[in-house]
Amino acid sequence: MKKKMLKKLLALTSVAALAASSLAGCSGGSTAPAESTEASTESTAETTDTADAEEAPAAATGDTITIGTISPNTGNLAAYGESVVNAINLAVEEINADGGVLGKPLAVISYDDKGDSTEGANAFNKLVGEDVCAIIGSVTSGVTAGLAPLADESQIVLLTPTATADTITESDNYVFRTCFKDSYQGKMAAKFAAEELGVTKVAVLYASGDAYSAGLRESFVASAQELGLEIVAEESSSSTDDTEFSSQLTNIAASGAEFLFAPYYYNAVGPYIVPQARAAGYEGVIMGADGWDGTLGTMVDDKTLYNNCYFTNHYSPDDTAEAVQTFVKAYTEKYGTESLNALGALAYDSVYMLADAIEKAGSTDRTAIRDAMSGMSFDGVTGSFVLDETGTPEKSVAIIEFKDGAAVWKTTLAG
Amino acid sequence: MGTQVSIFIQQIINGLKIGSVYALVALGYTMVYGIIRLINFAHGDFIMVGSYVLLYTIPIMVACGLPAWTAIILAVTACAAVGVTVEKVAYKPVREKGTKMSALITAIAMSLFLENLAQTVFGASPKPVGTIFSFPNLELAGIKLNGNTMLTIAIGVVMMIALQLFVKKTKMGKAMRAVSEDGEAAILMGINKNRTISITFAIGSALAAVASLMYCASYPQATPTLGSMLGLKAFIAAVLGGIGIIPGAMLGGIVVGLVESLTKAYIGTLTGGVITSAFSDAIVFGILIVVLIVKPSGILGKNVGEKV
Repeated sequence: MKKKMLKKLLALTSVAALAASSLAGCSGGSTAPAESTEASTESTAETTDTADAEEAPAAATGDTITIGTISPNTGNLAAYGESVVNAINLAVEEINADGGVLGKPLAVISYDDKGDSTEGANAFNKLVGEDVCAIIGSVTSGVTAGLAPLADESQIVLLTPTATADTITESDNYVFRTCFKDSYQGKMAAKFAAEELGVTKVAVLYASGDAYSAGLRESFVASAQELGLEIVAEESSSSTDDTEFSSQLTNIAASGAEFLFAPYYYNAVGPYIVPQARAAGYEGVIMGADGWDGTLGTMVDDKTLYNNCYFTNHYSPDDTAEAVQTFVKAYTEKYGTESLNALGALAYDSVYMLADAIEKAGSTDRTAIRDAMSGMSFDGVTGSFVLDETGTPEKSVAIIEFKDGAAVWKTTLAG
Repeated sequence: MGTQVSIFIQQIINGLKIGSVYALVALGYTMVYGIIRLINFAHGDFIMVGSYVLLYTIPIMVACGLPAWTAIILAVTACAAVGVTVEKVAYKPVREKGTKMSALITAIAMSLFLENLAQTVFGASPKPVGTIFSFPNLELAGIKLNGNTMLTIAIGVVMMIALQLFVKKTKMGKAMRAVSEDGEAAILMGINKNRTISITFAIGSALAAVASLMYCASYPQATPTLGSMLGLKAFIAAVLGGIGIIPGAMLGGIVVGLVESLTKAYIGTLTGGVITSAFSDAIVFGILIVVLIVKPSGILGKNVGEKV
């Protein structure tokens, strides 16, 4: 009987292990390879179609400039991937309609990383093997952090539109980005709290297992202390995909904080964090960063809960600048408004940045493109900026406020 | 000091909020396991299916002037249909041909299949579910009682009693117990084994629909993967209470919820910040291991050898 029990135990544990491993992979599941190939053929087909129409001779000889992209097209953050892929395809079509780059049309190979580092690395290695001249990706900091050393090793430009973690690029190498970095967002949030809102007691809720959330918390805490803000509570969750934050929020509400910094993604902010904070009796300000972009689509019915909530972002679609309005119009005509967000705007700018760099380099040589990107200046939808010595732009931050279920541009802070 | 006590009580209530949902889900796990000895790993995904049905039918119900919760009727029907189909298409052939282990692996495969199917059909981006119940917020001596939580616990208890009565007192329940004890002998006694198993699945999946209603009332967002973590935690709850034992599922669910909530609330202070609330999941999974070592049959389980 003892033996039988042991057997049973063994079976149950292996079940648990199996289940856990299936869970780990479940942000995407097992249909990945099929899906990504599908996605890639789809987008290549799409761009080649345009090329056929606009640039028949070049397309006929198959003489194209191919760029690779990596984004989470399936899984929990698939909405990000959708915006990025849409925006990239839009930019490529525009560029091809306008004569392409170096007189050749652009083609895109898109791979899915499902928001998972291993999948991201696989996608990267596949792209390096295929004849792409540079790679745009990935979207989340977690995945991109894994790709950055690979890019240096393989000597191919990795331009991430949206990965804001500081550590992604800290030297003059093959890694560049179109967005600002976390320490900058955390700093701006602290500055906004201290200078614009005039609060003194602040709390932080973050996901300790997530590079983005933990990075933002670090820079926020450092800047808050510098600015003389008192940190009255610091709570954490294991991942950004948690659904239950009531316990931490009860503690935060009891701490007397006036301002809560909660760097999570929209999928947790809309349905869980904000309503649960209000239910726990926390009435103060809740602020997040660019991961909050998309919260409008995940809000619960009572939109007044989200009043007194702010987030830092890369751009505001309300901005009247011509570049912004042209992009917003072109994007919504093609894909509707649902997936229009800052990630799309950044991805769109990334394609144009890369196109500029290829033009400047005068060739599709991977190293020549890197040299052309280093220190380049750019004027696009998300502002005009110069890349610093780490390949990170210095740009302004838009502060967005929720008012009865609408995202309203509050102010723009410059560093 | 008074506020410390009320915060503690509030944390207990926070634990009941999630625990009551785990309990409802664990009931479904235990129901199916108790009868056909199959841990239906796709159970969490039946809840996901229920959530999507609710997501799309709540606006219709509201438009018809009916209260939002009436959408549960369609959710129950859809979940039961999915459950029975999964059983007929995937589990039955494997059960007849293969071993217990291959049936289990089929269940995991089914779970991944449903998740990916949902991603294709409904899209990957999370969708907000409309308000299901709007209870006024009760406040007693600074403690906020959540109407959803109270209702979830009440429904859980009613379901538990009803299931227990059904399995112990009705003819169908007797057939289920007979199939569970010895499938071959049950057939010899004139019990339609396949029909019994189908009904078990229909009931288990209907329970998943009820769980999805209460889940969505507290956590109003549908995503293709919502069932995976929820299902795992509920599985731990079922094992903790004693898998196959109906009241055990209820107890296990509440305990897991309380452990989770109290860990999140106090572990940081208790350990001086060495272990943070981020470890709550690790602690819950740790419980599974401890239970398996110390008392594999669960809190309410009896340590008896399985019949061969």
